[in-house]
Parts: sequence; C-alpha cells; structure tokens
Amino acid sequence: MGAVRRVYVAGVGMTKVDKHTETSLRDLAAEAAFKALDEVGNEKPEAVVVGNMLSSLIEQENLAALIADHIGLRGVCGLKVEGACGSGGVAVLAGYSMIASGLYDRVLVIGVEKLLERPTPDTLRGLAYAADADYELIYGVSFAGLNALIMRYYMSKYDVRREELALWSVIMHQNGAKNPYAQLRNEITLETVLSSPVVADPIRLYDACPLSDGAAAVYITSEDWKKVSDTPILVAGVGNAVDSPDLSSRVSLDEFYASRISAEKALRTAKLDIKDIDVAEIHDAYTITAAVSLESIGFAEKGKAAKLWSEGRFRPGDKPTINPSGGLKSRGHPVGATGVYQVVEVAMQLRGDFPGVSVPSEIGLTQNIGGVGSNVTTIVLRR
Amino acid sequence: MTTIQRIWRIKNTLLRLLSTRCLDCGFVAYPPKASCPKCGSRRLIKEELPKIGEVLSYTVINVPLRGFEEFTPLIICLIKLGEAKVLAELVDVKPGNVHIGMKVMATLRRSAKTLDGVIPYVVKFRPLSLGSS
Ligand SMILES: [Zn+2]
Repeated sequence: MGAVRRVYVAGVGMTKVDKHTETSLRDLAAEAAFKALDEVGNEKPEAVVVGNMLSSLIEQENLAALIADHIGLRGVCGLKVEGACGSGGVAVLAGYSMIASGLYDRVLVIGVEKLLERPTPDTLRGLAYAADADYELIYGVSFAGLNALIMRYYMSKYDVRREELALWSVIMHQNGAKNPYAQLRNEITLETVLSSPVVADPIRLYDACPLSDGAAAVYITSEDWKKVSDTPILVAGVGNAVDSPDLSSRVSLDEFYASRISAEKALRTAKLDIKDIDVAEIHDAYTITAAVSLESIGFAEKGKAAKLWSEGRFRPGDKPTINPSGGLKSRGHPVGATGVYQVVEVAMQLRGDFPGVSVPSEIGLTQNIGGVGSNVTTIVLRR
Repeated sequence: MTTIQRIWRIKNTLLRLLSTRCLDCGFVAYPPKASCPKCGSRRLIKEELPKIGEVLSYTVINVPLRGFEEFTPLIICLIKLGEAKVLAELVDVKPGNVHIGMKVMATLRRSAKTLDGVIPYVVKFRPLSLGSS
C-alpha cells in the first residue's frame, strides 16, 4: 500500500439490535446516522457509504440515495457496498479509502439491515446467497450447514469437544447481558446450548447468532477535520482479503485464509503486532466461527482457541478481551451492519464510553466476515 | 432453488464432475475456475474427477433451504475425490450411519424443482458398500 492520509473515527452511533417491527430500514439508518452526526456538531459529510447485504429481501435497493435523502443529505456522494455478512466492514474500508486517498475529508458510513421483516425461510435463503449458487446451493445446503461442515472437520482434526465450543455462547451472553444495545441480553448455561434444537448437526440453535435488525454509523474524517471531535480515534490499519465462496476448492478447511491475510494486512499497515491488541470484536456467527477466527487472526494456535477460552482467556480482564459487546451471538448480527457495529464498539472502548463491559484499552481490532470466511475485513483502531 | 438455465449451463460440469487442473502448478479445483486459485495461471485443462471418494466432513440439516423440505433430513458432505474436494448430498444412508472416512460413490438423482418448475437431475453420492446404509 502506498502513502495514505490518516483517517479518524470522529463520531459513532448505533441502534439497539432487535426485531424492529415498528421501524423502517431508512429510520433505523437515520437513528444511527443522527447519533454519529450529533457527535460531530452535525458537520455535513461529503459522502455517504452504506453497508448492506439483503435489502432486496424487502424490495428496496439504491440505499445510498434512499438514506442520504431521508437524513437531509441530497447532493452528497453516495454508494452502497456489499460483501455478504461482511458488508459493514467493507463499507468502512470504502469510506476509509475515500479519505485516505484525499478524495474527501468527511464520510458517513452507515451499516443497516432488516432480516426480521420477511418470514424466516426467505431470510435464510437470502443469507445462503453468500455461498456458491451453482455448486453449493443447488443441494439445498443452508448457511448453517456450510459452517457445520467446518465444525465437524475441525472437531475431528483437533479433537475438540462439543462442550468446549458451546462454552463460547455462554461467555458471549455474559458479556452481552451488560450491553444495552445487545439483542439477546439473557445469561445462559452450557445446558441451554447443548439442549437447544439441532439446526445443522453439529450446530445447534445456541451455537448460532440470532437473526437481527439494526443500524450503526461511523463518521470518519481526515487529519484536518478530526477537530470536529473531542475524542477522535485513529484508524491505524485496514485490511481486506477474499477467498473462494465455495468450500470445496479451499486449500484448507481448518482456517480462514482470508481472515489471516486481512489481519496481517491490517496489522502491517498499523505497524503493530497481534500482541499489542487490548480489545477485539470478532465475527462469531457460530461458535466454530469464533474458534477458527481467533486462530486465523493469530490470537490462538490452530486447534487451541476453545481450550484457551475454557481456561478463562479472552474474557473481561484478559488481554485481549474478545467481544465485550457479546459478539454476534448476543449483541446480534444485522449482517450488513455488523462490521460497522464492531467499529463503533471498539472506538467507544478506546474512548472509554462503551456502556456495557468496559475494557481499558489503547489499541483495538475488529474483524468482519462475509460468507464462510470468504470476504474478510480487519480494522485496527488506536487511541 | 435454481433455474433451468443454470442447470443446463452447468450440466456437463455437474454430471461429469469436471474440475480444472493447472498446467503450471498442478492444483486441481472443483468447482472449475477460470484461473488457478493457487498460482493464478490461466493454463488450465478440464479433468473429470474420480467417481469414488471418501467423506471428509458431513452435516445433517433439519432446516434446509426452502424447496428442499422433501429431502430432509438433508445429509451434505465434503467428499475427497482424487486430488479435489466436492460438496454434495449423500443419499441411501441413515444419518446415524454416516462417518468421516466413509467410502462413497457418485450417482445421478432427482433434485428439488427449479424456480421454473422443472425437476432437474444432479450428482449425489451414496455409500460404496450397501452394507453401511
Ligand atoms: Zn496453478
């Protein structure tokens, strides 16, 4: 990567992740956007970037125009960015690039998704579109099914027990119970996970994140414009990498290649080491996704992540603390918004005003995944 | 769900299990690619995969995609076929009898109706030895 301008997170906003029956997609986006804009004295952005995966489910595309117009920003530059469940992360990356390149000084990035407006079978089919339609979906395999293939392979290869993986959900619900923006704020036990219905063996309902509605926004600026905030947070590094959407042509089934490469890129641009990270929000769509992500990013050796969290690692008080928000499992997963939620949450951790589990920290990391590890964005933030 | 056009377009690949082999590094990819995933070379040849292989991983799906209800519980496997891997449905076996390492062979079977209402045939797999069903 060549020389780029510095980029800062100057304002953040998010809605509670929930089933928002009474609130439209545009109003969810507006709520998050106005919170971020209020933090920067309502300084008008030059561009709006929207992250979203499945608004076609609710018969609405052209989201940048829809949302920018709704929040009083006619005339600004607008675009939507899509990277399946990783759309939020790539939207932040796109906004970052617009500022780093010198094109703009102030960009509002909004992630928004409404998964609960349509009947669940329609939404599940939409989510599966992240996979290979020609060679995977023709068999009727669900997104959970694809992840289950990874889970069984991983458990067998590394001799990891079912209970060890299930514990991740328990830890996430402990964290999420304290997060006012989280969707599932109930604490659960190992038994809750192990006795929940089988979705795609070995994945059970409580191995999986919920379906969610929600929106999150970050107002990002150049060095010259970080003055709009009293507490600007530096975007120290960004990295994205893609892998095959299909599982079968992958070289390796027990790591997310794109997760590893994107984390390496982000840390390299930040000139930091994985050991420097105090807090991280990672993409635990399923308990197995948490394990493989932690290992691919470099927080754990291959096959060891579940052992580490069983020993108490990654919890509040540890370095790094992982997913103090409750993660996708408890905070929820409004897919195209999730990557933006993660940046909001880690920026607030660094500012010291995250309203849930608070992690005193200087350096944080987010990783947002599209598909089964096929489009991955890692972002490093620094106080 | 799929369409007649899609099934028609990929029928050779799908029914004969045509992979791409890289003439520069030897990597075999299924589904076939336009360039080698490993080295980027465009010097690829189509190569039919063996029809017998073994199960690398599997899942039993109770909630398949809409349209596949009649195939529930749906057994989906990643199968090692020669130098490649293939994702496909496993049939003629009880879910409890599937195991990693199980020997399976390709077979032609009916799939779910396409969006345009046609019943397509696709490659599925079944246990090699009938005793294991
Ligand atoms: Zn090659």
